[in-house]
Amino acid sequence: MGASILIARNLSKVVPSAEGELTILHRLSLELRQGDSLAIVGASGSGKSTLLGLLAGLDLPSAGSVTLAGQDLGSLDEDQRARVRAEHVGFVFQSFQLLDSLNALENVMLPLELDGRKDAREHARSLLERVGLGQRLSHSPRQLSGGEQQRVAIARAFAAEPAVLFADEPTGNLDSHTGERISDLLFELNQERGTTLVLVTHDERLAQRCRRLIRLDAGHLVMPLEA
Amino acid sequence: MARLPLLRLCSLALRQLLRDARAGELRVLFFALLVAVAASTAIGYFGARLNGAMLLRATEFLGADLLLQGSSPARPEQLQAGMDLDLGHARVVEFSSVVAGDTGIQLSSIKAVDGAYPLRGELKSAAQPYGAEVRGGGPAPGEAWVEPRLLVALNLKIGDNIDVGSKSLRMTRVLTYEPDRAGDFYSLTPRVLINLADLEATGVVQPGSRVSYRELWSGTPEALASYRNTIKPGLEANQRLQDSRDGNRQIGGALGKAERYLNMASLVAVLLSGVAVALSANRFASRRFDASALLRCLGLSRRQALLLFSLQLAMLGLLASLSGALLGWLAQLGLFYLLGGLLPNVVPAGGLLPAIAGIGTGLVALTGFALPPLAALGRVPPLRVLRRDLLPVPPSTWLVYGAALLALALIMWRLSLDLVLTFTLLGGGLIAALILGGLLLFGLQSLRRLLAGASLPWRLGLGQLLRHPLAAAGQSLAFGLILLSMALIALLRGELLDTWQNQLPKDAPNYFALNILPAEKDSFAERLKDFSALGAPLYPVIPGRLTHINDEPVRHIVSKDSSGDRAIQRDLSLTWAAELPPGNTLLAGTWWNAQAQDSLPGVSVEAKVAESLKLKLGDRMIFSVGGMDREVRVTSLRTVNWDNFQPNFFMIFEPGTLKDLPTTYLTSFYLAPGHDLQVVELSRAFPAVTILQVEALLEQLRSILAQVTLAVEYVLLFVLAAGLAVLFSGLQATLDERIQQGALLRALGAERRLLVKTRRIEFGLLGAASGLLAALGCELISLALYHYAFDLTWSPHPWLLALPVVGAVLVGGAGIFGTRRALNATPLTVLREG
Repeated sequence: MGASILIARNLSKVVPSAEGELTILHRLSLELRQGDSLAIVGASGSGKSTLLGLLAGLDLPSAGSVTLAGQDLGSLDEDQRARVRAEHVGFVFQSFQLLDSLNALENVMLPLELDGRKDAREHARSLLERVGLGQRLSHSPRQLSGGEQQRVAIARAFAAEPAVLFADEPTGNLDSHTGERISDLLFELNQERGTTLVLVTHDERLAQRCRRLIRLDAGHLVMPLEA
Repeated sequence: MARLPLLRLCSLALRQLLRDARAGELRVLFFALLVAVAASTAIGYFGARLNGAMLLRATEFLGADLLLQGSSPARPEQLQAGMDLDLGHARVVEFSSVVAGDTGIQLSSIKAVDGAYPLRGELKSAAQPYGAEVRGGGPAPGEAWVEPRLLVALNLKIGDNIDVGSKSLRMTRVLTYEPDRAGDFYSLTPRVLINLADLEATGVVQPGSRVSYRELWSGTPEALASYRNTIKPGLEANQRLQDSRDGNRQIGGALGKAERYLNMASLVAVLLSGVAVALSANRFASRRFDASALLRCLGLSRRQALLLFSLQLAMLGLLASLSGALLGWLAQLGLFYLLGGLLPNVVPAGGLLPAIAGIGTGLVALTGFALPPLAALGRVPPLRVLRRDLLPVPPSTWLVYGAALLALALIMWRLSLDLVLTFTLLGGGLIAALILGGLLLFGLQSLRRLLAGASLPWRLGLGQLLRHPLAAAGQSLAFGLILLSMALIALLRGELLDTWQNQLPKDAPNYFALNILPAEKDSFAERLKDFSALGAPLYPVIPGRLTHINDEPVRHIVSKDSSGDRAIQRDLSLTWAAELPPGNTLLAGTWWNAQAQDSLPGVSVEAKVAESLKLKLGDRMIFSVGGMDREVRVTSLRTVNWDNFQPNFFMIFEPGTLKDLPTTYLTSFYLAPGHDLQVVELSRAFPAVTILQVEALLEQLRSILAQVTLAVEYVLLFVLAAGLAVLFSGLQATLDERIQQGALLRALGAERRLLVKTRRIEFGLLGAASGLLAALGCELISLALYHYAFDLTWSPHPWLLALPVVGAVLVGGAGIFGTRRALNATPLTVLREG
């Protein structure tokens, strides 16, 4: 196992609400090494997605710090954080989040182009072939099934060879059979490329495939990280 | 919640409206209605106030109760009839003549009045330009009252002398107001008011001169009616009676046309805003499906739910309409300001009616365009709270289009438009839109293929356009048409007169001389030769009016507003010539020498006038000339080159046929610039001769054209605003999607710069396509106009290439403004969706 790639220290998130301040996350710390896999589970509203957003630099904590690939996210502005995401982070979402105005190949090319890679097209094509969609390159997202769309999304997530891949309910919108195959693909690629995987899920079976697991309850960590 | 009182429903609606006020679609809806109401209110006020001014002129501003007007003096028995009835009487003689100062000449409109003038209203004058106005009085013999601009033109001051013909007059006062000039929209030449007693001494008015004689009468209605009945049967063809009812029925040509175009423009603005209203009302409805379903679940009846949302829209509509009416009222002030010099000084306020009508337009548009999507809200099944995919039954097509059409018809009726013209334009526009839209779509698709290998922002921007190709083509077309109309008007205003002038031969005549008396004919020609002025031949001119064609009165033959109508509404300048004048070409028939023997003398008619009067070779015409009827036969038709500044004529008679009548001569000549003193000398030597300076006339024409087109462009700004409303409402529909896309791109690591660039490309392309369309359209239309309508040589207008840039900046700016929320979307949004 390599060096620490993602470190969270005393993360808190407080938001204003009608009844005063609402604490969504409560002084939470964790540390992940290169190649680790972590599942975040918990009931709805327990703060899973908030934690994911903070770890990925999509949002800033009220207190505490996140260090991703050696960079303290709290000291960066939004565009600088975007730069860090472009270089080190990949995403897989529950609702796939493909751009309708681009075809499958272009969707996968997107993070490569954001990273300024010259070989975006070739690399994206080989990735789509790897996830079994070599024949669907010029299809638009609307012409693809849910499973196929998530494969495109996974190809996109791995395209820029991210250090950390965040997945938010990656099988949530899929039937169990398709979901199974998608999670196989996700873990295969995770192993192949040595990516660190952070996933939020309701699916206990998916969570059990991760090396480590935390459970959140009302913003508190109830199951500590295991080695 | 079985029964909800209306009042509670109203307050609920108001509270919801205030809460929703920040929602984009309500703001766009507000904006669209504002534009529609402001445009129609402004035009409504313009029309109403203009008509009011006309009416004022007709009732108060004749200077008399009854007016007998003619191009020859009234006959003694016509005057006696009035005296017998004890009517009040005053006499006015009006004509154009050159007024000479020490250093220059100025064509002026001379009005000679007697001591009784005016019978109704009062003159106003001042001792010095812009001095205090004094009412009443009139010029004594030997005096002249002049408009300030004459002083400016001749560089003189009050107290100096001017020559009118051979009479020298002292300018004693500045004329500031004449009761019977209020509606005289074409005050092209400055007014000089003199005493009737000085008229003869000027020597200007000679038999055959173009003069307007006016006998003013006042008295009791009975006496006036009796007078009218007495003299009506004996009226000459050149005489007419005017009272308040006959007053000026039509607005001067250019203004009337301008009003029509303004009306058209406001209709287009209302139509476009209607589309924006429909789009944003649709979004208003679809975003409230959940709320509606929930309210139904909570026990609100279908009717109550519908009422709640209708009330919300009605409140919004009322607020927008009131603001729009206020804005429209302010805007028409600007319109009157722009048209300043062309309009009477006193324009009535216009009342509340145009504002109410404007508000009505807004509410009708809201009802017509928003009712169908709103009706869907009432039909949202309550089960939607469990199953979000449940959509209301779509409203019947009849309801959707019926309501919109009804609204449209009502608005058009309100604006009382020329329906044939409107439908022709709308129909033509629709067909053009379909063809151009197809081309645009094709263009976008090929661009997409072409740019497959282009950089990311280009592919993203283009991809977004192609996500909604119909909307993109529609928006681009709408802006294209708006830019096209603005550019075309600018082009015609700026270039037409210049082009025409530039294409004239260098030594084309720049002066016209009218009213040359037969006795002075030879010495005038001699003097021209001394100045080495290049002159055209002198043509005899006799004013005459066409009364009958083949024994049928011409009034029955020609249609209103045609050029034929204009030819019979006034005296024509008749001439005779032995030879076909240069620049004329025979189209049909023969010139005199090869003429078959006929008892009737022959006449050669200009082909276009012949067409509008439906004249053929061999037709008989009767002219009233100098109080006598002359019958002639059409023996030839000819075309005339009107642009050569040579004297040209509609009707040329066989030589000898008009010889016995009082004749004056007409010619044109070229005098190199800088010879003003020679013209002064000429006008002193020949006081009766009217010398027109072509350049000065063109300059006046240019300034009128500039004013009118400026007014039309001003109203086109409303159309532009309506176009922006359509763009914004279209953007609203895609905003959620854009926010999501922006958030995703941010999550994947895109910097804000990339998003901005993408938007710039998307909307810039859209605007550039509009501009390109406008530039091409403008060139095509101008080519056709130059070639067919104006007979000018066309050359391309490189400045039109600025249109794509203008379009890109305009639409680009508006597009980025309309989607700024998508640029600022936090990347966290992608996690919340789901």
